Amino acid sequence: MRPPLLRRSDGVIAGVCAGLAEHLGIDRSWVRVGMSLLTLASGAGLLLYAWLWIFVPTAADRDAEVRRQPGPAAFMDDVGGTSAPGVAPARDRAARAPHGVTTPPVPRYTLPLPVPPAPTALPDHGAGTARSAVPGPFDTEVWRERTLRAGRREVLFGTALLLAAAVLVVQLLGVRIDWGFFVPIAVVATGAALAWSQLDEVRRARVMNRAGVGRAGGTVRLLAGVVLVVAGVLVALSSSGSWTLTMATLVAVLAVLAGVGLVLAPWALKFWRDLESERAGRVRETERAEIAAHLHDSVLQTLALIQNRADSEKDVLRLARAQERELRQWLFADPAREPGKLADRLRLMAGEIEDRYGHPVAVVAVGDASLGVAEDALAQAAREAMLNAAKHAGVAVSVYLEVGPETVEVFVRDRGAGFDPAAVPADRAGIRESIHSRMARHGGTSELRSDGDGTEVRLRLPRTAEDRET
Amino acid sequence: MDTGDAGTGVAEPATVSVVIVDDHGIFRSGLRAALGPAIRVLGEAATVEEAEAVIAEVQPDVVLLDVHLPGGSGGGGAEVIHRCVRHGTSARFLALSVSDSAEDVVAVIRAGARGYVTKTISGPEITDAVQRIASGDAVFSPRLAGFVLDAFGTSSVAVDDELDRLSARELEVMRLIARGYSYKETAKELFISVKTIETHVSAVLRKLQLSSRHELTRWATERRLL
Repeated sequence: MRPPLLRRSDGVIAGVCAGLAEHLGIDRSWVRVGMSLLTLASGAGLLLYAWLWIFVPTAADRDAEVRRQPGPAAFMDDVGGTSAPGVAPARDRAARAPHGVTTPPVPRYTLPLPVPPAPTALPDHGAGTARSAVPGPFDTEVWRERTLRAGRREVLFGTALLLAAAVLVVQLLGVRIDWGFFVPIAVVATGAALAWSQLDEVRRARVMNRAGVGRAGGTVRLLAGVVLVVAGVLVALSSSGSWTLTMATLVAVLAVLAGVGLVLAPWALKFWRDLESERAGRVRETERAEIAAHLHDSVLQTLALIQNRADSEKDVLRLARAQERELRQWLFADPAREPGKLADRLRLMAGEIEDRYGHPVAVVAVGDASLGVAEDALAQAAREAMLNAAKHAGVAVSVYLEVGPETVEVFVRDRGAGFDPAAVPADRAGIRESIHSRMARHGGTSELRSDGDGTEVRLRLPRTAEDRET
Repeated sequence: MDTGDAGTGVAEPATVSVVIVDDHGIFRSGLRAALGPAIRVLGEAATVEEAEAVIAEVQPDVVLLDVHLPGGSGGGGAEVIHRCVRHGTSARFLALSVSDSAEDVVAVIRAGARGYVTKTISGPEITDAVQRIASGDAVFSPRLAGFVLDAFGTSSVAVDDELDRLSARELEVMRLIARGYSYKETAKELFISVKTIETHVSAVLRKLQLSSRHELTRWATERRLL
């Protein structure tokens, strides 16, 4: 593939010849000589140079442009603009998707339209649309339409040039042209084209997920179109008449326009509302389908299981608790809380123990901390405490996590019969190893209290400054 | 779950009359059966309008109120409280919900409910909670205590009367409740009387209801359902 056509920063004047040479793969001096020779031909070289200066971006310009696009590479390379990147006007660019799909480069030259300003400074409506559009999956239809549109633009431009040339030739041949007829028609056509191109933009914007950015440019275009059409019609009507007649016509035209607007406004409004409500309906429908899918996968399955296991009270209880936990997680998951942190970890462990022993383990968390090595040890120690409580106490277990600025604390409490920690045989390593030693290794403390009212394990871990930041 | 041992602080409880407001018939009958003999169910309601009418008619001591209810203008339990308060009801409200969402909790408490318990609560616990509410106390589940700590922050303020923060003592009480302690156990732990605990909890409830704390609203909205 050829290097893209970009103005070089190490050129003599504006880097046009240097860029062209690199692009065409010939020596710079040859290009410069050619350009000079062309200049001798009634200044054609000069014109070409100026043309390229305006429409060919520098490498920096292009980088900036690429960065503004959500797609991975400059899509000019995707869509046939290989030999003339940046020459394509922005509206044309908008027609090409910012999709991040590599498409085969089509060897086709994109001619510049003189209408929009240089692409180096283009906060254009079209470009805005392309930028803010959500990249979707690649679509052959869209692709073809885009190619067609790009081609059509060139054909239109070419046709206009040819027409102009033909007019000039005919005039040179001595045929008198009725300008009074021709100019208004041309003006009306241009205005209509402008207005329609705007409509096209709007439709495209809707297709591309309603970007709604840079509407100002579109409005200006629409207004310009309307003004041109009205002016054209006026000139056509009054070409033979006087100024007063023109004024009268203008008033009549405006009156008719206002009347039509008045009549159509409610209809347009209704149409718009229908469209809006339809869209809202679609969103609701999607939501409903998602909820239905979730309920089917979880709740209905569990209900079926519960009916099968109706004779085993323990199984039913366990199924119900597990399903409740899962549904709660789905419904009430705290969006302000980041997942995968300490509170999440404890909840996961609690759920696991609940499933295994069939006793509810309720977790209340105030604040949250990210999972470092020490926090992980804390969670493991808490797990051991929950496990002991569920295993030996055989009642509901309460877990409380509080993350303060200085410490992280976890309390695991049950209302079981309690036990005498001193009476635990020395060979039972559970509490000593898994809780006390583990906490001590990470600079924390642990405490166990047990009496007739139940047992509570208190775990405390100091926080360092860097913990607090995370 | 546990809010205290049955009968604590209420020596020989008189009969308490209640109205059960919930849109699930099965839950209403289950709750009716679970409530102890000291509690008399005067009526049931399934919607906001029904609740308003029944409560105005029978004037119960306590209303057991589901947070999510059909009818009205969609405000659920909180709307029932607003409407009844407008009629000048003397009934006290205990919110019952399956919901864990902070927004639901805060909405119904700020509307005027004196407690919030989850529907998985056991028969003796709910009986005790109803008696507590009837005697003018507040009922905090560990989860509600956790919400309070999360919303008000865990650092204390010196002045008891500051609405936006909890005093050191109130913090201690909330922490113990969040850890699963009953009022009695909390009292024992802090070497104070159950009555004092009730006073502290009521003060926290008042702060929760009256605090114009900007963060409280923001905190609840941040945790709203998606």
